[in-house]
Amino acid sequence: MSYQSFLDGDPAIVTAALTGGIHGKEANPNLPETPEEIGEAAAACREAGASVVHVHAREDDGERSFSTERFQEIDDEIRARAPDLVIQHSTGATGAPDEKRLQPLRTDPAPEMASLDMGPVNRYHHLTSENTRATVDTLYDEMAEREIKPELELFNGGQVTETYQLLERRDLADPVHATLIFGSGSLTRPTPENFLALIHDLPEGATFNTLGFGPHQLPFATMGLLFGGHVRVGLEDNVYYRRGELAQSNAQLVERVVSVAETLGRPVATPDEARDVLNLG
Amino acid sequence: MACPYLEYRDADEAHSFDTERAYCTAVDAFVQPMRADICNDRYDLHHETDCEFYREAEGL
Repeated sequence: MSYQSFLDGDPAIVTAALTGGIHGKEANPNLPETPEEIGEAAAACREAGASVVHVHAREDDGERSFSTERFQEIDDEIRARAPDLVIQHSTGATGAPDEKRLQPLRTDPAPEMASLDMGPVNRYHHLTSENTRATVDTLYDEMAEREIKPELELFNGGQVTETYQLLERRDLADPVHATLIFGSGSLTRPTPENFLALIHDLPEGATFNTLGFGPHQLPFATMGLLFGGHVRVGLEDNVYYRRGELAQSNAQLVERVVSVAETLGRPVATPDEARDVLNLG
Repeated sequence: MACPYLEYRDADEAHSFDTERAYCTAVDAFVQPMRADICNDRYDLHHETDCEFYREAEGL
């Protein structure tokens, strides 16, 4: 993907990351946590132009849930309100065993997509989300068995190398779909130079999502749109609309990035166009 | 065993919730849901080794 894809008017897929697994309503009371809240948020994002929703599950007290049943409840709420959305489940976790991380893949029907964290990320002061190669392979194998498209989450440039190594170990369907993540800590430093280097270093034919944490969400989404990529926005990655002003909803963040795409002349993909681009089903 | 600084509350001076949530009395704040896994020693997580709030409060 490249600037030529932008000039060609290829549709841009907007993914809404609704909830996440790290912060909750203590950071922004508008962040959806219950299945009903997540369903309503998904429908509002669909209305605003998103075609994919990235889903994490929470317990009633906001804490993380990995249970198949909780993901099923959420999917049911989403499908009741926005039946054509592409649902992407998270398999991310810190400290939880692989068996827990496999649970979100076992809903009926399976999600069309699931995230696959491609390597370690430091958390807080003493923790690391390890994401060993063995874990990556275990999660990938169940995705392949259940015909779930993996969304490779690349927290930094070293995980582009991990992507090439995964392609040597496993036969991923085309296109490889990678999310490039920019921010602080273990993430790729958010500079335009790093963005350009990474998009040109991806495997041939790969599609990419651009994900900037916090204040980098909008500028990196804009770069993604200009360079033929796709974008991910939402309260999982950024709880603010602008400095000092909490976002009112996930849909507000989707509306803004759709407005940028429209201003630039880049069409926004419908869910069915997203399925074509990502070769789903 | 859960962290001794962990409580479940539904409000503080700045927040009010429908359901009680994890609150750290070492830093006097509601904690992120992911951190609550550490507070509760879930999976392979342990507050004594993994939480900087606990360690600082205990002088470790």
